[in-house]
Amino acid sequence: MSSDQDHLQQTDTEERFDFKKDSKAAYAAEKGLTEETIHAISDDKDEPDWMRERRLRALEQFQAMPMPTDWPGQPDLSELDIDEIVPYVRPDIETRGGVDDWTDLPDEIKDTFDKLGIPEAEKNALSGVGAQYESEVVYQNMQERWEEKGVVFCNMDEAVQEHEELVKEHFMTNCVPPSDNKFAALHGAIWSGGSFVYVPEDVTVEMPVQAYFRMNSEGMGQFEHTLIIAEENSEVHYIEGCSAPKYSAFNLHSGGVEVFVGEDAHVQYSTVQNWSKNTYNLNTKRALVEQEGRMEWISGSMGSKATMLYPSTVLKGRGASDNHITIAFAGEGQDIDTGAKVYHNAPNTKSTIESKSISKDGGRTNYRGLVHIADGAENSSTAVECDALMFDNESTSDTMPYMEINESKVDVAHEATVGKIGDEDIFYLQTRGLDDDDAKQMIVSGFIEPITEELPIEYAVELNRLVELEMEGSLG
Amino acid sequence: MSATLKQGLTADTVRELSEARDEPEWLLDRRLEALEALEELDLPDVIQTPGRRWTNLTDLKFEQLVDPLNQSDETERVTAEGVEVLDFETALEEHEELLREEFGSTLDPQSNYLTALSAALFTTGTLIYVPEGVDAEDVKIRTEMRSDSLFSHTLVVTEESASVTILEAIDDEGPTADDEGRYFSNLVEVAAGANSNVQFGSLQNLSEDAYCYTLKHGAATDDATVDWIEGNFGTQITRSDVETELNGEGSESQIVGAFFGHEDQHFDVNARVWHNAEHTTADLVTRGVLDDTARSVYEGVQDVGRDAWDTSSYQRENTLMLSDDSEADASPKLIIKNHDTEASHSATVGQVDQQDLFYMTSRGISPEQARNMLVEGFFVPVLEEIAVEEFRDDVEELVQERLRN
Repeated sequence: MSSDQDHLQQTDTEERFDFKKDSKAAYAAEKGLTEETIHAISDDKDEPDWMRERRLRALEQFQAMPMPTDWPGQPDLSELDIDEIVPYVRPDIETRGGVDDWTDLPDEIKDTFDKLGIPEAEKNALSGVGAQYESEVVYQNMQERWEEKGVVFCNMDEAVQEHEELVKEHFMTNCVPPSDNKFAALHGAIWSGGSFVYVPEDVTVEMPVQAYFRMNSEGMGQFEHTLIIAEENSEVHYIEGCSAPKYSAFNLHSGGVEVFVGEDAHVQYSTVQNWSKNTYNLNTKRALVEQEGRMEWISGSMGSKATMLYPSTVLKGRGASDNHITIAFAGEGQDIDTGAKVYHNAPNTKSTIESKSISKDGGRTNYRGLVHIADGAENSSTAVECDALMFDNESTSDTMPYMEINESKVDVAHEATVGKIGDEDIFYLQTRGLDDDDAKQMIVSGFIEPITEELPIEYAVELNRLVELEMEGSLG
Repeated sequence: MSATLKQGLTADTVRELSEARDEPEWLLDRRLEALEALEELDLPDVIQTPGRRWTNLTDLKFEQLVDPLNQSDETERVTAEGVEVLDFETALEEHEELLREEFGSTLDPQSNYLTALSAALFTTGTLIYVPEGVDAEDVKIRTEMRSDSLFSHTLVVTEESASVTILEAIDDEGPTADDEGRYFSNLVEVAAGANSNVQFGSLQNLSEDAYCYTLKHGAATDDATVDWIEGNFGTQITRSDVETELNGEGSESQIVGAFFGHEDQHFDVNARVWHNAEHTTADLVTRGVLDDTARSVYEGVQDVGRDAWDTSSYQRENTLMLSDDSEADASPKLIIKNHDTEASHSATVGQVDQQDLFYMTSRGISPEQARNMLVEGFFVPVLEEIAVEEFRDDVEELVQERLRN
């Protein structure tokens, strides 16, 4: 138990996540999306020509692709008007590209992240931390001892300048190409900020690195890009937290995450997202895993109006493995459509997916998953387990797994259950002196425990606090 | 419209069909309505995942095969005491009112392009009418297809507290001479009265150049039970949809499926149940075996509606793969809008258990025989659900026959 936990418990979490600041942008792109917007972003960031060209090509692809409308049971995106979203906001600070000392941040931004507990987290256990405010990273720090070993943790804009060759090779080329889907194309066109993590061969970063993203302006879009390259036999744990206060206009978050897991390398990517309930959260996250590499995704999806997010893993090399742990909580007016995708493209590959969802007060959760086992991926195994807990009769919970099996020497299992919160359990707890709300909270905490126990303590505490607040109906 | 038929499918063709059967005006009108709807309708939805469509229905070359005026079949109908099992023409003479009321009442002929085509062109059909309180076993309809295309419609109506088991089997005279194949289309609707009990078994063993489309749809009223057994062995492409709407309190449905594909056969098998009332129960069980380059596509849907309090709904799908070149795709879906629900689904895909195989061969059984025994054993949980003994024997025999080949 760290002082983090104390901090998190003492702070009113609602206040922590749902405060807003007057937004003072130094530069805000015009609403909507044209070639001029791209040039403006690219000029502003002084980008090399190849990146500008990639953006323009992605824009063309975005414009050519239709909105996804025909998925069975997909969230309603009809109110999402890209032309009303401001794609790029640079906060008004002189410290473009991020400061490396927390005290150098303008008070206003410092205050924001203080409330979110970022400095506390860094003090306690992290190898490095980055914080993004609107479209730009405003704070970035990596502990020296990791820098000495050649580990890079910097913001993505900086990486384009400082690590151009690596970025040019990996950025939206074969992991998440803009052609993947409409929002990947949108992201490719107007991405800004995000994290770049590079871990050289044989280096183990024992403590997690963390990035925190916050949207503060009304009607803006945030499109941060995360690129993680873990070379052979390296290991890193990356944590991302996201939040945005509630505004009347819609926000759009369309991030892109690309993870390259080298031979025998191990990458863990954990995220707890708590976007405000007017945010469309439409992301593309993918990992490519080489021989004997291991990828782990741990995600908590709490906030947003609508989420469409299916982190995917391509097991390319023999013996590669993947674990997915996801939890979704949908309250009133929320539609959380999330799941996992795994492509077994080599022999002896393994994956497990564990998904838990809770729906309450008319919220909707959906597990949408795809497991693909290619011809030749012999001795592969996958196990998918989905459990849904429903609180009331206004809520909806769906499970839509897809399994494509092209190989006979495999072991494939999918299981899903849906149930209401047990009246008997509640009664039992009540007879022990708990009131109805506390009893329900305790049952939910028990339900999501397999997931929280995989998270670093400060995230587990945060997730539990968020769930408690959702249960009280006092958030957002 | 997503497909075009060979020339000659006009209102006149449909009138000719109807007149030849001396049908009443209302039935002709319904055929014509279905014909007209073709222009608006699409082929049935098939599952799509990134980069692919699981079944390519445009491969159903029915437009070349459909020959409305040259349909021919040989159908044997075995009735049981107290039950009326009538071909459609006789049924029109004896139970016109009932037909008029129930035909198309549970199954919407305009569900998609293929159902509408079937409703416009069907020439063979059966009415099974089970009056109140009658308890009947072993009703049988055995059809042999004798033309390049055949459209069939089966209507089952049970009155209060009636009970019936039905076996419907379809086969043909063997592969067509010109290798062009055949197209068999079958719509089955079951209207189950209060507290009645229907088990409808279907066995498809058409030759392997044939195509088959079938939609079976049941509606269960209070305390009624509609059970389906769907066995698929023949054809190159089969698309089969088996569905129950649990509309009455305490109604139940079981959908049992079995398929065994080899060579380049393709089965697109779907089981769906809608829980629309309180205290309803559903159990979906499908088992399939694939050999050579055969492929199976499975979708199971358990849809629990807002008003379906106290629902129990279970689904299992297991596929056994005997060959590396076969493919099994599965999507068991849960759609839950009422929280007072116990629902689960599971799906597995795997090969014959190597330990079992080793154990058996170590006891002196040849590897091939051991494998065959394990495959036969794999179907046992499905066979156990079949109430009609003759049907169970037929399925067992077809499994053994396939294993011998």
